Amino acid sequence: MNPKKITSEILKENYFNMKHPSGLDIYVYPKKEYNSKYAIIGSNFGSINNKFKLKSETSYTNIPDGTAHYLEHKLFETKKGDAFELFAKTGASANAYTSFEKTAYLFSCADNFDKSLEILLNFVQSPYFTEQGVLKERGIISQEIKMYNDSPDWKVLINLLGALYKNHPVNIDIAGSVESISKITPETLYQCYNAFYSLNNMCLCIVGNVDYMKVFEMVDKNLKFSPEVEIERFFPDEPYEIAKKEITERLDVETSVFNIGFKENISKGQRVSIKDLVYNDLIINAISSKSSDMYYDLIKTQSINELSFSNEYLEGPGYASVIFSGESQKPEKACEIIKKHIEKAHQNGIDKKTFERAKKYVYGQSLAVFNSVSSIANLQLDFALSGKEIFKYLETLKNADYNELNTQLNKKLDINNSALSVVRPKNEQ
Amino acid sequence: MPNITRTEIFPGVNFSYIPEKKFKNIAISFSMFTPLNKNCASKNAVIPSLLTHNCKKHPSIKLLNQKLEELYGTSITPSVSKIGDFQALTITAFSADDRFLPYKSENINNLSDLLCDLIFNTNFNDKGIFFDEDIEREKTQIIEEIKSERNDKKNYARIKCEETMCKNEKYGINCLGTIEDAKRLNSKIVFEAWKSLLESASIEIVMIGNQENKFVIDEFKKRFQNIKRNKISSFKTKVIKKADEITQKQEHMDVTQCKLVMGFRSEIAKPNEKVPAVKVMNALLGGTPQSKLFLNVREKLSLCYYCNSRYNASKGIILIESGVEQQNIEKAKKEILEQIKDIQLGNFSDSQFEETKLYLKQSMKKIQDNIEVLGNWYLLQTFDDIKKSPEESIKEIENVSREDVINAALKISLDTIYILSGSKE
Repeated sequence: MNPKKITSEILKENYFNMKHPSGLDIYVYPKKEYNSKYAIIGSNFGSINNKFKLKSETSYTNIPDGTAHYLEHKLFETKKGDAFELFAKTGASANAYTSFEKTAYLFSCADNFDKSLEILLNFVQSPYFTEQGVLKERGIISQEIKMYNDSPDWKVLINLLGALYKNHPVNIDIAGSVESISKITPETLYQCYNAFYSLNNMCLCIVGNVDYMKVFEMVDKNLKFSPEVEIERFFPDEPYEIAKKEITERLDVETSVFNIGFKENISKGQRVSIKDLVYNDLIINAISSKSSDMYYDLIKTQSINELSFSNEYLEGPGYASVIFSGESQKPEKACEIIKKHIEKAHQNGIDKKTFERAKKYVYGQSLAVFNSVSSIANLQLDFALSGKEIFKYLETLKNADYNELNTQLNKKLDINNSALSVVRPKNEQ
Repeated sequence: MPNITRTEIFPGVNFSYIPEKKFKNIAISFSMFTPLNKNCASKNAVIPSLLTHNCKKHPSIKLLNQKLEELYGTSITPSVSKIGDFQALTITAFSADDRFLPYKSENINNLSDLLCDLIFNTNFNDKGIFFDEDIEREKTQIIEEIKSERNDKKNYARIKCEETMCKNEKYGINCLGTIEDAKRLNSKIVFEAWKSLLESASIEIVMIGNQENKFVIDEFKKRFQNIKRNKISSFKTKVIKKADEITQKQEHMDVTQCKLVMGFRSEIAKPNEKVPAVKVMNALLGGTPQSKLFLNVREKLSLCYYCNSRYNASKGIILIESGVEQQNIEKAKKEILEQIKDIQLGNFSDSQFEETKLYLKQSMKKIQDNIEVLGNWYLLQTFDDIKKSPEESIKEIENVSREDVINAALKISLDTIYILSGSKE
């Protein structure tokens, strides 16, 4: 075994990377001064992967909405019982999540790391899906879906994605619906497992107080043979144009919540680059930070509940959108102000002083990510699964160029290609 | 664990310093504690946010934030919360450590200077009080914040259960105050509240990072020179030991999932030495994915996605929360009570017991690796005579016996059942 050492001059830290013969991509990031150890293993299988085939197959398979998430719940069931029961013996805190583009299984601990890692690797490599087990989960996941259906913050986002994307499956709720999950069987889960969970489609990231060579050895001992599987993921054609400009839903809430999204042009199945991420963060900050004219206007006109105003760059295979969100008494007014300032930035460009300030701000924020073993591990997984290197972000940021910023700005935040999603109170006029 | 020092730098003003090299940041928090009071909650609650919008040196939101961004994204965050029967008003400053910046700056000096300017060098009008427009902005914000509590149903149900349960205690007061009170605020009222807090609140400053603290202490000492501090009241959080009857409260909203929150009196709150026993009992009942509530209400009966319990050691209460179908509320309630009874009867294995302790101990070890959580850990102990490091608390957990857990379970009594249901039946 000969892991590669990757160093950050800025952070004065290293991590080690190795492609295991099984195909698994492994990252170990030692943090010697910490008590914590964190391990996360993930696959590029998210809710958007609802149509696929193996290279050897002739036709595509459609799976019910919510399958990736259902599989995540059921993978914890093993022949020897629930994986949570096994983690209980080590005292680790285990969890899992499914997003639009990936599924991840993780634990954090301070002691008994070896034993916990063994449990993690073992249950992820040993699917055990039964009729009874799959049926039993339906009640639990139905309640999870209903909980999200009552959440204005979640509904407003899902509605927005429906307005932005005509065909891309990012417009479907991650957990599916109570109706769609009733079609999921053990066979569906095995079929997805066999495709997406072969080790050559997965990444393992470990951060914390560990000896990296020992970790590599231990991982090696706990990996089973895994056939190399090549998957063809199907994505429908997605036009640049949005599906519709506005969408409103009424829920039993007291305050309106809005999301305004700016859709970008991304090639089918492609992810944005580190450079794209860096310039996105700089541009968003320059335009909407607390020192910006946009923010000042939003506050002055009382168009936003201050603490709730935030932004996000939601991106994955074949999709990317900048989203501004918040609670507001006047969502349309907020939307108008946001657009007005974006238009102004497009006309006049971002000035140099603002650029320098944004650079410092984003730098400080990015530095803080490296305080926490869980933030590093989750970032590492996301980057590894999309072929990016985490230290490159800070490097690229440090060298970010003013002229390039305005060039990038021209490609972003198209106000004619944006949608507004609002969740309003039921009793409001 | 590094050596933690806590010194009184001015009457009723304590400075805790946690020297820690491993973080990329430094954090300084400034907290004022005052007994919760119906008449003061609203006017106090606007103060942290009000102070973090400008000061004499940086007289507008824009100028202040330009300065913060130039200091490598230094953040200044206001927050209002409660610890026992106290309202906690906090401003936290968070900044990058110089060691990781492209060139040397004096961030720590800048940071404490800035924080002090926001707190002591306030931007007043010619009458020497807050500007009306600043107060109006804060009024609107806090009213919206209170209103939006209803948006998050899980959180709302928890707040309502606590409010119902503690309606005759200070703890039952919303730490943000009420909409009606917020509407009545003006700059004179808020100014008086601010003056009174500076003079009479008990104040805790907590600093974490790899920096010399002397300069920071001197800075705060200097700024307090002009303030006449009153004697800090010896008020203590009220702990009701037993519920005398069960209060039921039900509200209706147009929701697809009902929320069930059950509030219990545990009889035990800080500084009682039995607190660790309640912590273990609570974790065994509903604090981990291996807890009895998770295994039975969720896994065995498939009634819900979440069912957990949380113990508030400052107030001595336990809240059990779940989200269920309307027709399953009784079933869930019955199962929850059944699980408590199980612990009272000692129906849990030695391994379950040991595993719960192991889980808790590891959670405490991990606290030291998170700069925000670590700061909060000490802040939560403001009113404890003996401050404990996470390591010291681990020892206490280790010493809890099966009998302690059974005894802790025998002491709890159901006080309030709050249900947020979908439709009127």
